[in-house]
Amino acid sequence: MSSVEEISNPVVENLEEDGLEEENTVEEAEMEYEGPVKGGYIFYRDRKEWADLEPVPQDDGPNPVVKIAYSEKFTDVFDMFRALLKNDEKSERAFALTAEAIELNAANYTVWHYRRVLLQALDKDLREEMKYITAIIEDQPKNYQVWHHRRMVVEWLNDPSEELQFVAEILSQDAKNYHAWQHRQWVMQEYKLWDGELEYVEELLEEDVRNNSAWNQRHFVISHTSGYSAILEREVQYTLKQIKKAPHNESAWNYLNGILQDGGLSSYPGLLEQVTELQDTCSSPYLTAFLVDLYEDALETNSSSYDQQETLNKALELCKLLAEEKDTIRREYWNYVSRSLQNTYGSGDPVSSSSDPPPPSSSQQPDTEPSDP
Amino acid sequence: NISTEQRKAESSDEQEDFLRERHVRFFQRCLQVLPERYAPYETSRLTIVFFALSGLDVLDALDVVDKPSLIEWIYSLQVLPTDDKSNLSRCGFRGSSHIGVPYNSSKGPGAPHTYDSGHVAMTYTGLACLIILGDDLSRVCREACLAGLRALQLEDGSFYAVPEGSENDMRFVYCAACICFMLDDWSGMDRQRAIDYIRRSTSYDSGIGQGAGLESHGGSTFCAVASLCMMGNLQEVFSERELKRIRRWCILRQQNGFHGRPNKPVDTCYSFWVGATLELLDVFQYTNFEKNRSYILSTQDRLVGGFAKWPDSHPDPLHTYFGICGLSLMGEAELQKVHPALNISVRAFESLRRLHEAWRQKST
Repeated sequence: MSSVEEISNPVVENLEEDGLEEENTVEEAEMEYEGPVKGGYIFYRDRKEWADLEPVPQDDGPNPVVKIAYSEKFTDVFDMFRALLKNDEKSERAFALTAEAIELNAANYTVWHYRRVLLQALDKDLREEMKYITAIIEDQPKNYQVWHHRRMVVEWLNDPSEELQFVAEILSQDAKNYHAWQHRQWVMQEYKLWDGELEYVEELLEEDVRNNSAWNQRHFVISHTSGYSAILEREVQYTLKQIKKAPHNESAWNYLNGILQDGGLSSYPGLLEQVTELQDTCSSPYLTAFLVDLYEDALETNSSSYDQQETLNKALELCKLLAEEKDTIRREYWNYVSRSLQNTYGSGDPVSSSSDPPPPSSSQQPDTEPSDP
Repeated sequence: NISTEQRKAESSDEQEDFLRERHVRFFQRCLQVLPERYAPYETSRLTIVFFALSGLDVLDALDVVDKPSLIEWIYSLQVLPTDDKSNLSRCGFRGSSHIGVPYNSSKGPGAPHTYDSGHVAMTYTGLACLIILGDDLSRVCREACLAGLRALQLEDGSFYAVPEGSENDMRFVYCAACICFMLDDWSGMDRQRAIDYIRRSTSYDSGIGQGAGLESHGGSTFCAVASLCMMGNLQEVFSERELKRIRRWCILRQQNGFHGRPNKPVDTCYSFWVGATLELLDVFQYTNFEKNRSYILSTQDRLVGGFAKWPDSHPDPLHTYFGICGLSLMGEAELQKVHPALNISVRAFESLRRLHEAWRQKST
């Protein structure tokens, strides 16, 4: 299926402006055969070696919808593919045809499945298949089917030895390709290939400290190897260093916050001081939000190291700073956070939203201000 | 204190007017013929039908389609149980006729074919389209669809798309949840396992990825939250503290429009994926509507209709549909409201609810 998120979407333009696109592939002329020849190309339905098979057309009934206007060549290949499928034919000619079908439409998962059936039934060379799938992925790196196919071949060969280098090559063209990262994580976890990955992540972060995928991978590697207990301080310092280089970087701040969640932001020694120190030179909405979260943690845990009233006041002050100055696009949200904090930790009357009537909520949740404990 | 005419003139100058008629015609053309470069969509043509029909529904323009014909065509995509019922675990809906099975608008048993099986996203969009068109699902083999769905769930709680095997991730968890919700029958899945998968897919930054360890993403976050809402379990599965952190992750996705991951460019469709998630979490009201609306409309194709992911790019059915839904979440005039979890109009949702009432009464 085409993704519900990022896919390369072809155009739907005014159909009067748009002619049919045709691919002119010149095959070797087979002069001894009769039948329509187009620049040497012969349709499968006219090839002698395919004469035993009756092509199977698509049948959309009397009122087809979203009909795709295929060229004659396209239809010919797939009509023959459907014929093979119907008979469940397991042959070399079938295998060859799957490559033709894939070239025309690499997103047809049935063709890929059938090709895999043939790879096994005909005991095909899987090393050759790896070369094939490598080329296809290079050409179409955002297609789901090609990555799944590669995974199957790697599993059959039980050989992940080319994978990390291959994925690195794809990531060098698009460092955030979700399919590539997914494959990489699968390989690493399945075959326990953790060595060198932290170094690889650091290389990527050198190239682009804002690469959120690389930060995610950092967390992935560490959680699956050393864990965070022994090296937490190292990670905190590393992250603060990256923040100093590029203060307006949500990824680094998310990482810092994420790795400190378990212990609690307000409990980590020296953290408040280190972050407050950054306020002048490395200010960002993320820094301010981090402090709000730290103060909220102090309130939530009723930490004895913090004066509860003063902490609440500081948190509210920062929410106001965010709403009015540092993160105005989220003004209403920061006001809401303020009200929630006030209602949860304040000692006065509960605060309600502005005097205007609230907009009707069409969500599944019963109420709009879930602030009570 | 400007007049309505003046405001209309101004909005058209800034190019901030919503060109309803153009989008209606865009979807009408989608339903007819698409150029060959749409070949990659052959196996998912039903999803394009969904974008067009649900889009026309939200535009309040369903009167332009031939509902009975569409209903027949959709039913012809159902993988029906064969006489000997040996294919139950492969039942559901196909994305198109690409396999070459003879046309059968769900009148009679299925024709056996080794490679004929349903696809979870097509079963989901097929059922949704039928509901939008006002069909009563009487030709849907519910038990067969549910058996087909059970066959797709893995031990880790996620789902394949097809019984032959495929990738597995949060998209198909969502499709499965929609199917169970529409059929009013959760025997189609092991809910607890699906819930566990969702929890394990939550990232250190509190967004949700396609699977455990994967980068948090606006699309998978929607799929997870919407699925839990449809199960009725959102507040059992996540603590209030966790929900706060998910809200924060989501609300930080707004740049003007929305993006799907930190430090990535914005894209019209995330106005729905993230917008709807925020709505389900009760905080969409705290986003900046003006900037969101301006962005979505900047991706509107004024000539041809439709919306694209970015300004000055080619429109496509998916971004057109989600651009419109993104506007609907903000209460755009002329648009029907969209149910943020099931992703169909509230009107269609209510007709589904009435169907459920009728089913429940029949069974008592």
